[in-house]
Amino acid sequence: MLDKFFKGAATAAAFSLATALPAGAVDLQFYFPVAVGGGAANTIEALSNAYMEANPDVKIDPVYSGSYQDTITKVITAARGGNAPQLAVALSVDMFTLLDDDLILPFDDFLETDADMAWVNGFYPAFMENSQVDGKTYGIPFQRSTPVLYWNKEAFKEAGLDPETPPATWDEMVEMGKALTKTDASGNTTQWGVRIPTSGFPYWLFQGLVIENGGTLANAEGTETYFDSAPVIEAAQYLVDLSTKHKVMEPGILDWGATPKDFFEGRSAMVWTTTGNLTNMRNNAPFDFGVAMLPANMQRGAPTGGGNFYLFKGTSDEQLAAAVDFIKWITAPEQAAKWTMATGYVAPRPATWETQTMKDYAAGFPQVLTARDQLEHAKAELSTHENQRVTQILNDALAAAITGQKPVETALKEAQAKADAVLKAYR
Amino acid sequence: MSRYDRYLFSTGAGLLALIWVLPLLYAVWTAFHPSAYEANFTLSAPLTFENFAKAWNAAPFARYFFNTFVLVTVITGAQFVLCTLAAYGFARFRFPGRDILFGLVLLQLLVMPDVLIVENYRIIHALGLVDTLAAIALPYVASGFGVFLIRQTFMTVPAELDDAARIEGAGPLSILWRVYVPLAKPTYLAYGLVSISHHWNNFLWPLIVTNSTETRPVTVGLSVFATTDSGVEWSVINAATLMTSAPLLLAFLLFQRQFVQSFMRAGIK
Repeated sequence: MLDKFFKGAATAAAFSLATALPAGAVDLQFYFPVAVGGGAANTIEALSNAYMEANPDVKIDPVYSGSYQDTITKVITAARGGNAPQLAVALSVDMFTLLDDDLILPFDDFLETDADMAWVNGFYPAFMENSQVDGKTYGIPFQRSTPVLYWNKEAFKEAGLDPETPPATWDEMVEMGKALTKTDASGNTTQWGVRIPTSGFPYWLFQGLVIENGGTLANAEGTETYFDSAPVIEAAQYLVDLSTKHKVMEPGILDWGATPKDFFEGRSAMVWTTTGNLTNMRNNAPFDFGVAMLPANMQRGAPTGGGNFYLFKGTSDEQLAAAVDFIKWITAPEQAAKWTMATGYVAPRPATWETQTMKDYAAGFPQVLTARDQLEHAKAELSTHENQRVTQILNDALAAAITGQKPVETALKEAQAKADAVLKAYR
Repeated sequence: MSRYDRYLFSTGAGLLALIWVLPLLYAVWTAFHPSAYEANFTLSAPLTFENFAKAWNAAPFARYFFNTFVLVTVITGAQFVLCTLAAYGFARFRFPGRDILFGLVLLQLLVMPDVLIVENYRIIHALGLVDTLAAIALPYVASGFGVFLIRQTFMTVPAELDDAARIEGAGPLSILWRVYVPLAKPTYLAYGLVSISHHWNNFLWPLIVTNSTETRPVTVGLSVFATTDSGVEWSVINAATLMTSAPLLLAFLLFQRQFVQSFMRAGIK
């Protein structure tokens, strides 16, 4: 009864909103998060305005919605309150959460023609892994990233290493790390070999180690995790050994946000962090630096990350058609190139890299190509049902192992048991 | 108290104060120096206002400040009126179900506001108020804490004053206005401070229930600097933090003596 009242009110509100617009206009509300500096919000607004100029019958209202975490809270709250946005950018790994809450629509209803199918198949497959389930497409890659290794060429030269050759394997990273680690007369380390930040969301970079070690953290259906499998335990052991055994990485939890600064000031000669940092590094590193793929053990590997476009239930057919058209437009080569250059995110379609704009950009700044080339080795980011709880379980286990509170194997076995308890309901 | 004790106390207090003020000092240091001096404390470092300029231009802060100012004024004003009337009723009138009702008001103190976000949003949406300043304020205007605090203060007012005013022919509202409210001034000041600083800092609810520049408060503007993916620019974020908290800091410094006294009288710690 009460529900009906609210629905009635919602329709009335929607109606009054619709009548306020010129006849035939389609109104789209678009929530977007910002996780990088450099005026990302302004770029989104500029792109939306450009689209509206070309399509005067569509009105897009881009709404800044905080961090990724805030965005998913805002999206879910608004949708449950009967006021879902028509489209939003949210983490690709939130797909199962949004599906479990029954809030999003698949894109497949709008992919009828061959041209549409070509469009959806034109994204890098590594990005689509987190965007499709049960043969349906729920997310369209937009602000996607992947971690890479940045190295300080001057520090390499000083340590007697070839400044043009980054480590290609785990063993090389340890060896080079040892050469790069410097201590002063009183025994304090002034420069560490490598830094893999572990604060906040350690599972992400750790997943890179797992893939390189031939392992996997979860199945594609998001119902099983493999936290206590041999490759995962070995990868965690390697991460811990970097500080405790090889002494090439600062011990303890290493802050994510302070990592670029640490690199600029020469306290770490190599750092692992997202490609989202590329523009920041380019503007602020006081020395020549290189960007490399993450080193391999059994194989090369890296997770993907970042945000996808989603469509929401409660949207009219007209609005849906306009929303899909907007998404097609903004992921098209010219627009995606602008977005990539402003933010450092990896352009999600190979076609973008063929544009003259991107070719010129890459010619002057070849470091941007590393992330793209690494995509063929990349796998889906860890994503399961009840994703936030499950990743938190893994994060806590990793923190316990890194700080030495628990042996690596014990921590991961306990994490697997906890994850099993959460995911049992979805099997 | 021996002289030795006194030294010990003042050294301890000084140390605690220093620990407390360190983050603020760091914020001031980084905000006024180029980012190269974020972790490099040389006295000869050049001073700059560039961080403030950058921060100010990163979001429409002028509008955000105006919104926040209107918001805290409206919320605190509405809270004073509603809480005073409710507290007066609970403190000085006998009516059936009074204790149960007061129990319910106290129960509100145990509910975390974040739990209610979805329900609050549903109601605000049903009222057609999404994306307005009223939407941010409405869930907070009836405050259980305010009712409780003011009622406790009213209870301490001697009944003789109340009786004397009645003999002079004053009605209930006139007694409230002339006797109770003036005697509870320190409580209002203390509660006002807590309420204003809380709503000045509130972030999640305003972010969720508003969509446009015209309705958003400064905290939403501040959040654009939390760029976790690309590394945090401490000098700019600290300049923005100082800028957004400056009005509160200044007000506190100006009225410091009154605040400290009223806290001691009102017994809030």
